[in-house]
Amino acid sequence: MDKKTVTTISYLSRLKIDGEKEEKIIKDLSNIIEFVDQLNDVDTTEIAPLKNPLEKTAKTRKDIVTAKNLKKEMLEVAPSANEDYFLVPRVVE
Amino acid sequence: MSWETVIGLEIHVQLSTKSKLFSGGSTEFGAESNTHVDLVDMGLPGVLPVANREAFYKAIRFGLATGANINQTSSFDRKNYFYPDLPKGYQITQMEQPIIENGSIKISVDDYEKKINITRAHLEEDAGKSIHDMFEGETGVDLNRAGTPLLEIVSEPEISSAKEAVAYFKAIRQLVTFLDICDGNMAQGSMRCDVNVSIRKSGDKELGIRAELKNINSFKFIEKAINFEINRQIKLIENGESVVQETRLYDSDKNETRSMRSKEEANDYRYFPCPDLLPVIISDKELKEIKENLPELPEEKEIRYVNEIGLEESEATIIASSKTMANMFEEASSKTDDAGLVAKWLVGDVSALLNKNNIDIDESNLSPENFGKLIERISDGTISGKIAKSVLEEVWETASDVDQIIESKGLIQIQDENLLENVAKKIIESNPDQVKAYKSGKDKLFGFFVGQVMKETQGKANPKTVNEILIGLLK
Repeated sequence: MDKKTVTTISYLSRLKIDGEKEEKIIKDLSNIIEFVDQLNDVDTTEIAPLKNPLEKTAKTRKDIVTAKNLKKEMLEVAPSANEDYFLVPRVVE
Repeated sequence: MSWETVIGLEIHVQLSTKSKLFSGGSTEFGAESNTHVDLVDMGLPGVLPVANREAFYKAIRFGLATGANINQTSSFDRKNYFYPDLPKGYQITQMEQPIIENGSIKISVDDYEKKINITRAHLEEDAGKSIHDMFEGETGVDLNRAGTPLLEIVSEPEISSAKEAVAYFKAIRQLVTFLDICDGNMAQGSMRCDVNVSIRKSGDKELGIRAELKNINSFKFIEKAINFEINRQIKLIENGESVVQETRLYDSDKNETRSMRSKEEANDYRYFPCPDLLPVIISDKELKEIKENLPELPEEKEIRYVNEIGLEESEATIIASSKTMANMFEEASSKTDDAGLVAKWLVGDVSALLNKNNIDIDESNLSPENFGKLIERISDGTISGKIAKSVLEEVWETASDVDQIIESKGLIQIQDENLLENVAKKIIESNPDQVKAYKSGKDKLFGFFVGQVMKETQGKANPKTVNEILIGLLK
């Protein structure tokens, strides 16, 4: 875990890290990874990855439209919207 | 230096389910903005996705039709990125256990055929739609499309030219429309494709660095974008520079691709199993049922048309190539005994009208019932082929009933031998010179007499009867 990795992760997760805390965070994250790394000592070649701790399979839906039109309610609670769209700061490729 | 092109396609096929992949929101196209948005599609906290089983069935149909492995246990993962039209901050997709793996499809290009392997096809949800140009300094978001089921079909990098890429895309489109799992409507975005393009020296084993061209939605642009990109890469390398692995956007107005730098910055989607969704298991019984109900595919149709109905191979190929044509043929044939004549007219005059108007047959005024009736009236001798042509044109314009047109315009073929004989006699009497020439060996003049009788009867005479009468009279 180095400074570059932490910068990248903080960018990807949109979490701002204060400069003074950076050193501590690098150290903490390194410790966590080291701790979790112990799992690599276990031989898991014969074991299928666990997709879900419930070890059950999914209930599924029939292909039926059940949703109501919530346009008005949803746009009302949005931080920014007009009568038709949610509005966000301009993003353009 | 000669170069070799390596292309792989990722085609997003919108599955034609009524509701979304993980919610009961409607997938209807063109609805008023933000009216088909369920709480799950909004990504509100505390709600859970529940998978739509029909989407799995449709994906499996594709798998079966391409001879692929069907993973009866498949699971979902999260692909994480931030964009306003993706309210949850991640897209639910199938990274580790896709529903379909290792299929293939046959394509034909000019004079050769080629098999393209399909690495995988997985289910995932679509994002919403961003509207950039309507609001000052802001982007509008419409979430109607968010959560719509997509099947992402990933080819092996085995496509070697823009032409092959187009042929592959067309083959996939034909297949998914025949399977009735996608409407194939490219203008509405029901099929979109990303193209990975790289070049290498001819004979090299290793792949070159690739560029990904995003979101191209027409056959024409696929070909143009790829050809532009191939030339760009060749120029770069020949100038001693190198290709950068990046996503590029095709601009159809300028016919060029350009870098989308914003997405390049951090291409780390941090996939992990979606904890909200358990693996979905498809039973043997379900799989068997889907297999048994698989619709007839183009190739099978073609063979049946030739072997069982007796069509010419060229006719069968054209008719079986599109679902709407095949439907028209089969429905119209059921209304008449002469399927061969249906095919002949469909491939001939009807196709000509379709090309002229640049439309698909299901957008035309011609219904299978009416078309079948038209053919029936030709084969029972009510109207001649020539008259049928004008009737077809009338139907094309007005969608009127064939029998009504024939009756109201008095187009019924003249079968009355006495009447036709009188007309023929009159023609012979008034053209003594031609008769003389004909009798002295100018056989070609026979057509002249037929033509005159036809003219006299406004095209309504039965040509066969006219021929017989004239042969008798001119002996």
